[in-house]
Amino acid sequence: MSLNEAKTAEIYRIMVRIRTFENAVRRLTKEGKIPARFGLYTGQEAVATGVSIHLRKGDQIGSTHRPLGHLIAKGCDLNKLMAELMGKESGFNHGKAGPYHTFDPSVGALGANGIVGGSVPMTAGYALANQLKGERNIAVSYFGEGGSNQGGVQETLNLAACWQLPIVFVCENSSPEVQRMLGHEIDYPQLSIDNISLRAKNYGMPGSTHTGWDAADVYKAAGKAIRRARIGKGPTLLEFKVHQLEGNLEGRLEANEKERQWDPIDLLKQMIPQKLDEQIKADEAAKIQIAIDFGLRSPEPASEQAYSCVFKEAD
Amino acid sequence: MPLREISFGQALNEAHISEMERDPKVIVFGENVSSPWREATRGLKERFGRERVRDAPITETAFIGAGVGAAIAGYRPVVELMLVDFGLVAMDQILNQFAKSAYMSGGVISVPMTLRVLTGAGTSSGATHSESLHGLFAHMPGLKVVVPSNPYDAKGLLISSIRDPNPKIFMEHRLLYPVKGQVPEETFEVPLGVANLVREGKDITVIATSLMVQEAMKAADELRGRVSVEVIDPRTLVPLDEEAIVNSVKKTGHLVVVDEDYLHYGFSGEVVALVAEKALKSLEAPPIRVATPNVPLPFSPKLEKELLPSKEKIVAAINRAVA
Ligand SMILES: Cc1ncc(C[n+]2csc(CCOP(=O)(O)OP(=O)(O)O)c2C)c(N)n1
Repeated sequence: MSLNEAKTAEIYRIMVRIRTFENAVRRLTKEGKIPARFGLYTGQEAVATGVSIHLRKGDQIGSTHRPLGHLIAKGCDLNKLMAELMGKESGFNHGKAGPYHTFDPSVGALGANGIVGGSVPMTAGYALANQLKGERNIAVSYFGEGGSNQGGVQETLNLAACWQLPIVFVCENSSPEVQRMLGHEIDYPQLSIDNISLRAKNYGMPGSTHTGWDAADVYKAAGKAIRRARIGKGPTLLEFKVHQLEGNLEGRLEANEKERQWDPIDLLKQMIPQKLDEQIKADEAAKIQIAIDFGLRSPEPASEQAYSCVFKEAD
Repeated sequence: MPLREISFGQALNEAHISEMERDPKVIVFGENVSSPWREATRGLKERFGRERVRDAPITETAFIGAGVGAAIAGYRPVVELMLVDFGLVAMDQILNQFAKSAYMSGGVISVPMTLRVLTGAGTSSGATHSESLHGLFAHMPGLKVVVPSNPYDAKGLLISSIRDPNPKIFMEHRLLYPVKGQVPEETFEVPLGVANLVREGKDITVIATSLMVQEAMKAADELRGRVSVEVIDPRTLVPLDEEAIVNSVKKTGHLVVVDEDYLHYGFSGEVVALVAEKALKSLEAPPIRVATPNVPLPFSPKLEKELLPSKEKIVAAINRAVA
């Protein structure tokens, strides 16, 4: 499956949306309008977008501590997302979740996650529910190369293969070339292999490694794995090499010349007519300005809200 | 011992250096422990080498378990857990293997490992990056639980913990890291199981740990001249200096317990139970607990503040208790 012109423009638009949204988040965090710093997705936009373009509303994703790309690509409402990041009442989760735990069941975005690897076993559960319901929905489980080492992730690969669950595991393997990050190798390496997709074989599922900054490559690989899951042939482990270009938890802020070659948006832009590019950027900037205004205008949750939702009332 | 002013984080760093120099069996590992960003372990790799100071992958079960094993095999690991909430992925290694192995062995092995853990709310980090959880660990037989509240204790208690032949959880509130205080340059121990009388008073006993000692002191300051507040920091929850608590309540007749950990089934309840058992007749009014309600900590700064203990809540509790 290769990319036609219309799909290319659609993918490009969503990638620009994610980048523009995150740039706004970066600024709002500096200004104190978003109360805490967290991991951003800059440089990885092609992965979530190239995956989600194949997904239906009824498909689910399980995300990470770097969730905005996954959530936006899955179709989360930008206003409610921005309000959540500001801790406002009108956010998806009324300010209780923040970036690390955002849930939007209306589009199948079933959780950012503050625990590295934490969403992966749960996402197998979404796939199990899909299998039981027989509606041919699938689940996508995102994690980083650091997260891939967690026992819970390895156990879930095995479980998904044993039960032939309709799930695609998406490992975003960020290169330590660009910057050394929280939890990543400092002196000892955290992995003794280069490609995490090698592990797929051990669990009895297909696995392959792709270029995560090339939207066409992501689109193709994800399309194949998702189709496979949808027709009941079981799980796949996809690995996408990525470069986190800016805005890591503890990282630098500016992308340098060398890093531009890994910028998925710069690369795809070459396929987009200039007029359309300008149009897309203007549209998306306008949408995100609306989301910012919505978030800033929204009230804080009332103090009593702190105590609600611990338990649900019986229906 | 001559004193100088250093931060809580530097005090922890000095404790590591002291014990690594003294005992070649002391080894250090955890996520990013060789990173220059992490104050407690900063410079240890350069000084003691990469054999003894190792970065671990993000695999809490594996590296905490490896610490337990190395301890049983004769080393004295100091293992760092980036935040206490992340330790929950390694519950078996912590609560079964680490805590119980020595007892189950009938004493033929010991587990002299120190699990250093960062904790604490107040940074709008949400429900999986904000907890205290000392009550959870203190509940488990076999674990010593150490909760320093200032730089002096941080250094002395960490040195004592590393030397102690048992499993210890050493819990460091992350907002304490920049706090400065007077600390001796040389090696010294603060014994485990001895409370610190932070302030003497005669009207009411306030028991507080970790960051909450500061809040309790602010409350005591505010009430100065009206209520004479005695503030006691137990410093270790296991072993607990019961005598210090009981004797203080016998003197003051009033009790407030302040705890950033959850209210239910926790440290604050333990202290009240202790006083009920050993000094009930001395109590002139019901004890009051100021602790975090049993609600997962929310992201919104406003909601988080609503739930956490604070100077204002402590002042109100003291006023009610002595009214
Ligand atoms: C269980 C657990 N351990 C540690 C952390 C702290 N932490 C947050 S992000 C991170 C690095 C994650 O690396 P990776 O999975 O490769 O994702 P990336 O940040 O590269 O996208 C660490 C160690 C955590 N959130 N959860």
